[in-house]
Amino acid sequence: MIEPGTLEGWAPSAASGDEFQHVVDLAFDYRGDVTVELSDGAERTGYVFNRDAEGTEPFLEMFETVGGPPERIRYADVRTIRFTGKDTAAGKSYAAWLERKTRAEADSAAADA
Amino acid sequence: MSVPLSQMWTVATYVLGQRLRGRRRYPLVLMLEPLFRCNLACAGCGKIQYPAHILKKHLTVEQCLAAVEECGAPMISIPGGEPLMYPEIGRLVQELVDRKKYVYLCTNALLLREKLAEAIFTPSKYLSFSIHMDGLRKEHDDAVCRDGVYDDAADAIRDSLSRGFRVTSNTTLFDGANPLRVREFFDAMMDLGVEGMMLSPGYSYSKAPDQEHFLRRQRTRELFASILDSPKKRWRFNQSPLFLQFLMGKRDFECTPWGNPTYNMFGWQRPCYLLQEGYARTFAELMETTRWERYGRKSGNEKCQDCMVHCGYEPSAVQATFTSLVGFRDTVIATVSGRL
Repeated sequence: MIEPGTLEGWAPSAASGDEFQHVVDLAFDYRGDVTVELSDGAERTGYVFNRDAEGTEPFLEMFETVGGPPERIRYADVRTIRFTGKDTAAGKSYAAWLERKTRAEADSAAADA
Repeated sequence: MSVPLSQMWTVATYVLGQRLRGRRRYPLVLMLEPLFRCNLACAGCGKIQYPAHILKKHLTVEQCLAAVEECGAPMISIPGGEPLMYPEIGRLVQELVDRKKYVYLCTNALLLREKLAEAIFTPSKYLSFSIHMDGLRKEHDDAVCRDGVYDDAADAIRDSLSRGFRVTSNTTLFDGANPLRVREFFDAMMDLGVEGMMLSPGYSYSKAPDQEHFLRRQRTRELFASILDSPKKRWRFNQSPLFLQFLMGKRDFECTPWGNPTYNMFGWQRPCYLLQEGYARTFAELMETTRWERYGRKSGNEKCQDCMVHCGYEPSAVQATFTSLVGFRDTVIATVSGRL
């Protein structure tokens, strides 16, 4: 089940300028794998761990799921990014854990009664 | 205070050496994260939420040592992830000790007794096990989201001490902490025999799932003032007394984000251990190209406004000790008298 508020499954269409930068920033913040569509039609799937939009040649860096050293991809070569992997941060809040624990304790107390 | 004299001397000569060389920015503690994998899944921790292929990766010992050499800091903290899950943790620690680096191995201690039995570590003044303890049994087990962890960690502390290792505790205090319970916790740590305690307030990581639960600046001061008011003589802290006074609101510092640089499989983390805004490939690149003026409270950066965490402010406190007569005097008074 997809967690409300997560980007998991989101597939933005090709963008440019600030909109594109925003998608890259979201991919950088995303705690799951993404699929980067390149302008030549190729795709790379993996975890985006870095991006630099301020240099002369803006780039992102990712570890591909297939392994190997990190790959650096120029913004200029990216068509769009799809959020294809599971969001590993979704549903992991302290509040959610506390709620589960309280419910389990209540169930256990009810079973003992 | 309980930092050994040899360690204080190493830090003092290092800081003064940096000042004499005219270096404005220098690291004090390298936060070396060889892996992100962990055997706990604490709700407040944003460090371990990665896809499986990332969690399976780790740095090589050679990559770790290259980072240590590049950075040059006299102290190395090994957090993670859980460093005892790092397959070469014994060799890594020995290499660091051989280089006379003061190592704090930050662990939840679940695997510590097993590793001690395997004899992969040798007691040394350069090695401390820094055991994660966020409070008494109930508070700690709640913080790590698993029952029984406090008791396991306490057993591991006893075992480590009996084998002659240095042991400290490291504690993150979150919103809602009960000052009386925390004081009881300090007593419990002293009863266990730890060399010293390390404290820090929590921080709202931009990626942490528990942002609303972390302390805000004012509440931090109030909390630490009530906890550390009239400290007991028997309490020993393995950190700068000026940092503790800062937490209590008795003095103010600006953040030193480059003081505890972080290295992991992604590279050198910008700008600090907590914020994760990108990575540099080399330490020199980190120091030279990070826009430091964008961080710290004076910068106006919203993410820095409530932060009082040790990784940014303890280096400021250490610098205050060794770069001003007043700071040095105040540190000596607090260290000798035990008063904060």
